Amino acid sequence: MALTVLKPGPLATLQGSARQGLRYQGIPASGPADPLSMALANRLCGNASEATAIEITFGGAAFEFHQDTAFSFAGAALSAALSGMSVPAHEALEARRGDVLTFDHPPSGVRTYLAIPGGFRAETMFGSASTFLPAGFGGFSGRALRAGDQIERAGAANKPPPLATPAPLRPHMARAHSLRAVPGPDFAALTPAVWRETFQTTHRMDRTGLELAGNWPRPEGGGHRPSAALFTGAVQLTPSGNAFVLLPDAQTTGGYLHVLQVIRADRHLLGQIAPGDRISFLSRSTEDAYQDLRAKAGYIAEWLPDFRF
Amino acid sequence: MNAPEIFFVGDDALAVKVAARAARHALAAALRASGQWVDVVPGKGEVTVQFDPLAIPPSQAEALLRQQAEDIPETEDIPAQTITLHMQADDAAAPDLARIAAENGLTPEAFLARIAASPLIVDMMGFTAGFAYVAGVDPALVAPRLDTPRQRVPAGSVGMISGQLGLYALAGPAGWPVIGRIAEPLFDARRETPFTLDAGVRIRLLIER
Repeated sequence: MALTVLKPGPLATLQGSARQGLRYQGIPASGPADPLSMALANRLCGNASEATAIEITFGGAAFEFHQDTAFSFAGAALSAALSGMSVPAHEALEARRGDVLTFDHPPSGVRTYLAIPGGFRAETMFGSASTFLPAGFGGFSGRALRAGDQIERAGAANKPPPLATPAPLRPHMARAHSLRAVPGPDFAALTPAVWRETFQTTHRMDRTGLELAGNWPRPEGGGHRPSAALFTGAVQLTPSGNAFVLLPDAQTTGGYLHVLQVIRADRHLLGQIAPGDRISFLSRSTEDAYQDLRAKAGYIAEWLPDFRF
Repeated sequence: MNAPEIFFVGDDALAVKVAARAARHALAAALRASGQWVDVVPGKGEVTVQFDPLAIPPSQAEALLRQQAEDIPETEDIPAQTITLHMQADDAAAPDLARIAAENGLTPEAFLARIAASPLIVDMMGFTAGFAYVAGVDPALVAPRLDTPRQRVPAGSVGMISGQLGLYALAGPAGWPVIGRIAEPLFDARRETPFTLDAGVRIRLLIER
């Protein structure tokens, strides 16, 4: 056994790869809300980008190691405490059997990924080890981690070289976010003013989506259209007068107006948006978004050659 | 046939409009079988495909979809499978039934009789695991969406809006008024076949109140 969960915090789950090809059956991508941070933590353990890690939400979590092991973490937490000693994010670290690792509430950002060499053992369902809470499958018995859960290591406990994430690749955690977006199929419900507005996230947020309050137009005619496919990063205008941005556990089809779509290159940022954060959208064309994706993927590939957006 | 209407849904997805249900699902199956798309998702009036722009640049993806959509396979009239489901419609299982029936000028019993007599067919799956969009509801029956979605309805809840039912396979949030609850499990990850329903399946409802 690799470690025991002493405290899960508000929500901790095992996450691995995104699911593909089953959206028509209502099975969304699931997987890490911030796949880039998870990949960075895995890299420092010598793992593939999609090796199963623990996704910790808002800190407040504690784990006890049962083996001497390398580990690393990346995401919202800048540091953690290992048996009382401060240890930094984005470095390959060493724990001794009996050490306790605790995470405080991060000053900004939401999710932190804890990785060990070989990854954590998890139940595979529909081709992925990721926990999908709405249907209760994958990960650790299809549920969120609880105090007392004992998690095994999945692969070999190799000792990784003492690496650190290069400074320019460390995601910057902030309380204000600029998200590049293209018009969605129902963009006509908005006005060009949307590109100048600042929206604020409410307390309604989970792994399915984020609510954005602000100066959204009231949809005419009730704001419904026949249900159609939706993907992570879709911005839906609801009759409540607010909008929702969809995260990896969101519904795969829906009938609210799909007004904007956060571009593929920027969807990993959605996993670090906290309640009360400020959001603005930067206007992109499909071709712009393609060039943005190529540029970001090329930049990241040197450090994470297997990372897929 | 006329050139298919194709449009972008964000920067990494494209949709092709197909009005007829059988043709939509035949095209979706053909697109899925082509192996070119990450996900293929039929909606109410179109089929949407998602792609990785680093594997297929957007302009090439659009050209590929246009070519594939022009070769829509001949739609075979496959005899529809019929599945019988039991629906509870007591006050606990059907919190909106009395109100919706009254808004249609019917008693709950008369309202349910017209639901049961409707030629119900699974139009598409989607939303979340095991959810079924069911078409064929008596077009005279009207039900608007809830202004404020419920945070949580039990697994099996039957939502209704004008013209369709939504079968909520999982407990979770629901924006459609609830007129009953299906007794049979609609999704079970531990079964060999996790999904009870599929697009094109006809449904016979046995309603108990």
